[in-house]
Amino acid sequence: MRKLVEKVLIMDRRVIYALMASVALLPLVIGPLGLPSKVSPEVKAVYERIESLPEGAPFLISMDFDPASKPELYPMAEALVRHAFRKNLRVIGMNLWITGSGMAERILSDVAEEYGKRYGEDYVYLGWAPGAANVILGLGQDLYKTFPRDYYGNLTSELPVLNGINTLRDIPFMVDLAAGDPGIETWVVYGKARSMAGGCTAVIAPGMYAFLNSGQLVGLIGGMRGAAEYEALLEKPGKATVGMDIQSTTHILILALILLSNIAFFATGRRGR
Amino acid sequence: MFLRQYVPMAIAFVMGIIFALQYYVPHPASEKLLTTVNDWLIVVGGFSMVLGLASLMGSHWSKLRKGAPGWGYSLVVFVGIFGTLAVGIASRGKIFAGEGLVLTALGWVYENVLVSLQGTVFSLLAFFMASAAFRTFRARNLEAALLLIAAFLVMLGHVPLGEYIWDRLLGFLPPKADEVMGWIMNVPNMAAKRGILLGVGLGVIATSLKIIFGIERAYMGEGR
Repeated sequence: MRKLVEKVLIMDRRVIYALMASVALLPLVIGPLGLPSKVSPEVKAVYERIESLPEGAPFLISMDFDPASKPELYPMAEALVRHAFRKNLRVIGMNLWITGSGMAERILSDVAEEYGKRYGEDYVYLGWAPGAANVILGLGQDLYKTFPRDYYGNLTSELPVLNGINTLRDIPFMVDLAAGDPGIETWVVYGKARSMAGGCTAVIAPGMYAFLNSGQLVGLIGGMRGAAEYEALLEKPGKATVGMDIQSTTHILILALILLSNIAFFATGRRGR
Repeated sequence: MFLRQYVPMAIAFVMGIIFALQYYVPHPASEKLLTTVNDWLIVVGGFSMVLGLASLMGSHWSKLRKGAPGWGYSLVVFVGIFGTLAVGIASRGKIFAGEGLVLTALGWVYENVLVSLQGTVFSLLAFFMASAAFRTFRARNLEAALLLIAAFLVMLGHVPLGEYIWDRLLGFLPPKADEVMGWIMNVPNMAAKRGILLGVGLGVIATSLKIIFGIERAYMGEGR
């Protein structure tokens, strides 16, 4: 018995990899688990803030992430843009991560097509500009100087969607979707939007609760779970809802491994070594 | 000495003092000053991309030339840079359509190479994390046990399957899995993060003052 426990403790990492791959594929083999995600207050706060905006109000979404965070933040961005278009808000998209500029463009154009929105009138994609914090500071001073042209090369001053918007102060609500720095903290420190919320990967979400509790963020969407909750609020299940099944099975495997490792650890009397 | 040390120090001192005070001066001239300097910084930020690229290529070229261990990866860097550049120039921004996608050639490279590769590399983390959690997440002492319990509860409350298991096994307890997770995130986690943020903030102020008054000179390459 002791030998078996010792063997467990030195389990080959390839066994763990194989187990991980198997449980990740499990929902694809057996079909959806169909377990609902309970909506957390911090996600609901973002949804309700967008709901409270009047039709035609500007809504800024900064998609500060790259393809590495696509599984978590892409569905989140899609859900938020979908909600904004459903509410007939004027959507202003931008990003501070150059490697994410193509994805941000794809999100806006795909969802706009879904809702029959017209570029330049209902939404605009400003694209990327160098400088991170300085771009945010610039937006607080003059949007047209910071982004004289949009992603497609149009003069921003000639776009009807930006009528009446000169600085961040003219935007009643914005959401920053971030995978790191520059991201939510940069916007909180340098941004002057009237109110903002954040969306981020699950890894950095714990660090954002301080801003949530201080009221600097009205809400927080954390990781794929947050995105799935937002999709549930919109009653439009998407990639995050599907992804939660895989995240469920892999999380449970990791928990089982931790439990097994600790049982074996104590059973062999290694405590304190 | 004068150009390499005293001039940068003087610039740091003057600009540091001006912009520390600028924040407290609600005058159009002060706002204009901030806007102008911010425009400069955005332009400088653009040049830093060029500098970064030159530095990356310089470092990998050196590895390639010396045949240093892992030189093959340096070769991949050059193939990636020049391959992408060649595709962009050769296609002249022409738009291709197909399989529901409308893309430029550069867009195709982005969608099918960069997005896929970054996604793949990031997804490998799940495997490494599972292995690392198994090997290292052990209750060796009180602190490790507390961390282990907190992580266990957060992970359980984070996924619907975890909530389901909690309801089945511990459903008789008043708090639900998501409520336990919410408490951990909103109370102990936030308190720790607040402390870290205050420490970071004070550290930033101290370092800024040291730079402004010329005590900290590492940014000029001193001490290397």
